[in-house]
Amino acid sequence: MNIESLAAAVLDACEAASVTHMLTGAFATSVYGIPRSTKDVDVVLGVTGGDAFEKVTAKLDLIVQFDPQIQFDTLTWGRRLVGTARTPPPFKVELFELFDDPFVQQQFQRRRKLYSAQIQRETWLPTPEDVVVQKLRWGRSKDLDDARDVIAVQTPEALDMTYIEDWCGLHGTKERLLKVLGEIPPL
Amino acid sequence: MNYFPTMNIHDDPAALKALQDDIYREKVLRARKQSPAERLADAFEITNFVFGNMLAGAMAQKGITTESEGWEEVRRRLERLCRVHDHGRYAAEKPLAA
Repeated sequence: MNIESLAAAVLDACEAASVTHMLTGAFATSVYGIPRSTKDVDVVLGVTGGDAFEKVTAKLDLIVQFDPQIQFDTLTWGRRLVGTARTPPPFKVELFELFDDPFVQQQFQRRRKLYSAQIQRETWLPTPEDVVVQKLRWGRSKDLDDARDVIAVQTPEALDMTYIEDWCGLHGTKERLLKVLGEIPPL
Repeated sequence: MNYFPTMNIHDDPAALKALQDDIYREKVLRARKQSPAERLADAFEITNFVFGNMLAGAMAQKGITTESEGWEEVRRRLERLCRVHDHGRYAAEKPLAA
């Protein structure tokens, strides 16, 4: 199995389970920034509470083995479920549940469609501004590089920097924004 | 910018920064020429390529002769990497106060 087949299977599972969704992580970053490799397919499920995880994982059971333990991220306390492809390569699948966080809710509402020839379907993605805000919020070195790359490729002139700055103010990440802006060399 | 093959660029921070900026600039300008769908396609291709290299590297380093054993070693390595990357970022329980 290649990574695009796995991504297509995850999106199909969401559709089959009638769970709204949004591709996130490295693939969303690559759409707007500098394409890079990843180890996983990250998808936000547009359902708060309920049995969204169970419905989607049941549809994927033949190709992905999910951990029985749901995890909470220690930044926002959102719920995450991790699985590994049953056949090589051992790609990961990470499912994130939509939860009651103003930014996460708005990010999901603002998602947009993109057609991918590789997975032969439309997929939902966050906006580039929301990718930047999200990455600055997480703040790991790789996240900051991703935020810088999206801004560099899209250009600050084309992005809604006021929207980004407003969320960074609320998240306390304005210093990170200034740092990544300062890392972009003259282009 | 011209680089002289006899100089060690790591001894010259300004030249090293200029080289890093040149490399980064080239990556950004290449990405700007692509459509969003083309960049997504590249991410798929790079990921498949990297996993192929991880398999080849694991097999060569460990003297493994079968792909299935090679993938098992890749899986073990990825699990370790995930534990490092996720350390402190995830918890099995949500505190009552959160």
